[in-house]
Amino acid sequence: MNAASPVAPWNVRARVRGWLTSRLPRTDTQLLTQGNVYILPTRAGWMFALTLIVLLVASVNYQLNLGYVLTFLLAGSGIVSMHITHGTLRGLTLHLRPVAPAFAASPAVLDVVMSSPSSARFGVGLRLLDAPASTLAWTNVPAGGQSTAHVSFVPATRGRHDVPTLSAETRFPLGLFRAWTVWRPLAQVLVYPRIEADAPALPAARPAAGGPTQARRSEGGEVEGVRAYRRGDPLKLIAWKKAAQALETGADLVSRDTSTSARQELWLDWTACGSMSAEDRLSRLTAWTLAADRADADYGLLLPGLEIEPGDGDSQRARCLEALGLWH
Amino acid sequence: MNASAAAAVRRAVPNWPGWHRLPREARDTLFLLAVIAWTVLPHASHLPAWAIAMTAIVLVWRGRLALANAALPGRWVIVGVLVVAIGLTYWSYRTLLGKEPGVTLAVALMSLKTLELRARRDALVVFFLGFFLVLTHFLYSQSLFTALAMLVSVWGLLTALVLAHMPVGKPSLRQAGGLAARSALFGAPVMVALFMLFPRIGPLWGTPQDALGRTGLSGTLRLGGVAEVANDDSIAFRVRFEEGLAPLPESLYFRGPVLARFDGIEWRRRNGPLSGAPVTTPGVRTIGLGLSYQMTLEPIRLPLLPLLEFTPNTVGAAPQIDGYTLLLRPDLQWQTDRIVTERVRFAARAWPRYEHIAGLDADERAEALYLPPGFNPRVAAWAAQFRREHDLQDADAMAITAAVLAHIRSAGFSYTLAPGYYGRDGIDEFWLDRRAGFCEHFATAFVVVMRALGVPARVITGYQGADRSPLDGFYVVRQSYAHAWAEVWQPRRGWQRVDPTAAVAPERIARSRNLEPQPGLVAGALRTVSPELMLQLRASWEALNNSWNQWVLNYSRGQQLDLLKSLGVHSPSWEDLAMLTIGALSTLALGGAAWAWWDRHRIDPWVRQMERMRDALRGLGIAAAAHEAPRVLAARVRERYGAQAESLAALLDALEQQRYSRASIVRPDTALTRRFVWHARRLRVLARAAAPG
Repeated sequence: MNAASPVAPWNVRARVRGWLTSRLPRTDTQLLTQGNVYILPTRAGWMFALTLIVLLVASVNYQLNLGYVLTFLLAGSGIVSMHITHGTLRGLTLHLRPVAPAFAASPAVLDVVMSSPSSARFGVGLRLLDAPASTLAWTNVPAGGQSTAHVSFVPATRGRHDVPTLSAETRFPLGLFRAWTVWRPLAQVLVYPRIEADAPALPAARPAAGGPTQARRSEGGEVEGVRAYRRGDPLKLIAWKKAAQALETGADLVSRDTSTSARQELWLDWTACGSMSAEDRLSRLTAWTLAADRADADYGLLLPGLEIEPGDGDSQRARCLEALGLWH
Repeated sequence: MNASAAAAVRRAVPNWPGWHRLPREARDTLFLLAVIAWTVLPHASHLPAWAIAMTAIVLVWRGRLALANAALPGRWVIVGVLVVAIGLTYWSYRTLLGKEPGVTLAVALMSLKTLELRARRDALVVFFLGFFLVLTHFLYSQSLFTALAMLVSVWGLLTALVLAHMPVGKPSLRQAGGLAARSALFGAPVMVALFMLFPRIGPLWGTPQDALGRTGLSGTLRLGGVAEVANDDSIAFRVRFEEGLAPLPESLYFRGPVLARFDGIEWRRRNGPLSGAPVTTPGVRTIGLGLSYQMTLEPIRLPLLPLLEFTPNTVGAAPQIDGYTLLLRPDLQWQTDRIVTERVRFAARAWPRYEHIAGLDADERAEALYLPPGFNPRVAAWAAQFRREHDLQDADAMAITAAVLAHIRSAGFSYTLAPGYYGRDGIDEFWLDRRAGFCEHFATAFVVVMRALGVPARVITGYQGADRSPLDGFYVVRQSYAHAWAEVWQPRRGWQRVDPTAAVAPERIARSRNLEPQPGLVAGALRTVSPELMLQLRASWEALNNSWNQWVLNYSRGQQLDLLKSLGVHSPSWEDLAMLTIGALSTLALGGAAWAWWDRHRIDPWVRQMERMRDALRGLGIAAAAHEAPRVLAARVRERYGAQAESLAALLDALEQQRYSRASIVRPDTALTRRFVWHARRLRVLARAAAPG
């Protein structure tokens, strides 16, 4: 998926292509101009040319002046369609929205906004440069407006990766020509480790250090009271009815207070994963992180050389996953 | 779609959801099927009935499948139907080669291909086959109507092609049609340039013997074939006689194809020797003085010259045309080596009185006596009875001819250009029942009767008669003067011309002007209501048709070279034309490239405005990023320069209003940009002046 992925030395075509692609500047907003839109006839275009030759030969042999008219009308339309095809991409602006982190081996979605300052553009497709044509995501761009196309790719490994090279193409209007552009976005995508399928249950929780020993177990089910919303509180903790009242009076959101005093601490520990390879351990820890987050527990992460204090909520989840994704 | 049509559709298709509620795939498929039906439809008159029925069934079937969103038939079904279609084609024509079998197969293939239309992209073969099918219509007719009908077809095909490349949503047919029309309209200059300049060259190989008969003549004859040209008053050729002799119109027979082979339906030419050196005319003896003449032949679109009978191939008499090889066939018809597609002018000499004392070899004799079994049985019976009644067992050909002509005169035959339709045994029907027709009926029936009576006979087609133009002394022969007559063979006297039409309508032969055709129903009503309007309509139509013929159909190398002359080329040649074509195409390509280059520097005017303003701000030492709104920049300006820069900041606020408020404007205000740049420059000067102190 990376531009740096090794290419066999005898694969000249792929090497040339890789070299050409690597020369492209990386940018998150790409204006398509004469300089970066390419155009070539499609197979249908060659077939059309063959049809034109057959029509011309028939016109010559049967001395059909109307046959000439037909042949030249189609030829003229074909030539005009070449300009229209090229013009469909030229002037478009492609912009990559910030990419949400993804898990290895599951699809990461890229949102690309296409905007046209002038006329409407029909049938613009977007795909990864290396993906087959069947994966094209089609969209129309309204005149003076914009539209969004989504393409996804499956990152193989965790870490911070360059967004793969994208390609936008169109065959509008007659399909005789294919205009395309190659675009290397600047953005990087953060890839978390692969989620282990059928991971074992979460390890047992320990009472929080320094907390009351007789802790009541509470998983957000029993409401002990309310408190002001704190950043990172999961949505389901918000007391919506109370929050609505509070908002009306100009106050902030209100969250349920789930007896923090009675917390148990769950440590997701590298060493608890048994004898597995490092990547598999990271996968299991990822699965556990997600499970703990779903269970709404307080959890911390223990990696060799890295410790994340227990916590909960979306921020804790993001922190842990990022650590897992970037650990080495 | 109007209400009654919608109601009719609802009756025909019980689960019809309404045109606008159709799913996109179904709608596109139905549209394509309609375009295909429209493209095939004009072929209905000359394709075998099974081909039309099969096409209709397949298209309707495919339409129902599209509506029901059902699965398409498997490949083997389609292959099976295709094999059946090929078999039926062979059964109909006894061959798979040639124009008509080819067209039949193309139509069958086209309809079957629709059964394979799964994805919209698969349709490409259908489109290209469709364009080819459009061309095949021009083999039969190049009239204005055909051109308009086929223009609709091409538009429909292009629209379907555009639809296939709009994969998102459900674009309306009107939108796709507009986009298709736009491509075609922008392409029109290319079309006109190529049409005018593309060098017209002769056929690349052979001479298609089955070329179309827009003119009164074609290589073949079948009953009803000439009726259409009775209306065609366009000029076929002009003749001027050198010595000022004025031959009688009834002696002016211009000889075209000689049709001796009869298969029951159609008369065809004998496949004579066509190549090789001209042979001396066998057994023709000219009588009396020759008649020198000059002929200007309009594009006849056949590989022949309709010369005055009889023009021998002797030095001084035979015509000569640059670029053509001329050959006198043994049946006395003048042949060219390729289709005559331009106006040609030549001099020749003819002997109106001649004898063609040719022998008849066994093949020729068999052919000139052949009557296909199973056709016209009643005429055969009638002939046998006629022979007995008139005691013709031992009579010679002349006596038999005289007896049959006498029968034609006395048996109540009438001459009409609107005889109606004759069926399979048309000769039976004409000779015994209806007895109304024109030259082709008389000539073919006469030949059949003579053959039935044991006399070798053949049909001659050509032109007969001429109008003497009062102005320039030219004789004008029009397409409507196309004629058919007969020749019978008698030992020692050879082939003798017999014109059975003259027996019933001597005025058709003696008087130059043709009979005016009977008007159709609408034209007849119009004529009684308003003769002036009728005349005017007819005149406009003829003028329109005439320009069509002149500018489109008869545009040939002659006109191309004239065009070059008018452009200032002194002795234009084929190469000049080619150079001009290449030049014009290069100019067009360069124009396209120049436009694209200019377009490259066109960017969004809003973006350009912001770029200029950011440049001005950078000059003031204010960093401005591309994503920052004018409002943010205004705040930064105020922070840096305070009240001094208020006018500059106010302009940024105004821009914010113009772009994002409810009263936003469509195009950038260039005055605002200018004022902004001016204020920025002033501020810069002020700031620089303040800095040292």
